[in-house]
Amino acid sequence: MNLPPDEHPPGLVLDARLHLLDRQVLDVDGVPVCTVDDLEVHGVDGSDLPDGSRPAVVTSLLSGAVLATRVFGGRPPSSRWHRIRWTHVADVGTTVALGVRGDTLDVTWTERWVRDRVIGRLPGGRHDPG
Amino acid sequence: MILGDLLDAPVNGPDDEPLGYVVDVRFVLDGPLDGTLAAPRLHGLLVSARTGTSFLGYERTGVRSPALVARWLRWRHRGTFLVHWQDVQAVEPGAVRLRDGYRRYSPDLPGRPSQRPDLHRAT
Repeated sequence: MNLPPDEHPPGLVLDARLHLLDRQVLDVDGVPVCTVDDLEVHGVDGSDLPDGSRPAVVTSLLSGAVLATRVFGGRPPSSRWHRIRWTHVADVGTTVALGVRGDTLDVTWTERWVRDRVIGRLPGGRHDPG
Repeated sequence: MILGDLLDAPVNGPDDEPLGYVVDVRFVLDGPLDGTLAAPRLHGLLVSARTGTSFLGYERTGVRSPALVARWLRWRHRGTFLVHWQDVQAVEPGAVRLRDGYRRYSPDLPGRPSQRPDLHRAT
């Protein structure tokens, strides 16, 4: 069956599974932050459940504990996701590059907690090993 | 809306006839400017009549190798089509319903991978 070709949109075309989901997210210094586990989509009017009657856009990259839901099905509740606003995204390629430092984002709170509460209490844990 | 709720969802036509499953969602970076980049606008849904999953997008790119894998996956995803977001009447729990008079388009990505260095930069 030959289908008509789609119009050629003016912007970069991204298929979610092909170009965004599971991609590594790097911060402005090239430090790995997380992977893109899901995306949050809103209508341009802010509606939470858009349909085809109004345009919808990606507002946030989502990252979270998805191992269990990928094995057993379902998805984490909305409150369990860590959101990275699309505003912070600087580039999309083989990785997703952010324009901010990773330690300013909520998604890295566990790393900061382990650094401050565990690593920092070890002898020599508060300075650069070099 | 979480995108994962759309992926793999069954797609029904205007008369509730089953059409397939959402295997991917296509965005275009031409939405309102949001920071450095334009916000990805939801352009359409890729619907496969035969399977709810897609592997490496063989059915929508010009990749032809490995030949056996490419032929197998293209055959498995035969009949895949793109439907514009404007043709989506409702996103219901566990299903997507298309509006009357919806149109099917080729799922091919505009620009073959070799023409898209933006997606193949070395890291």
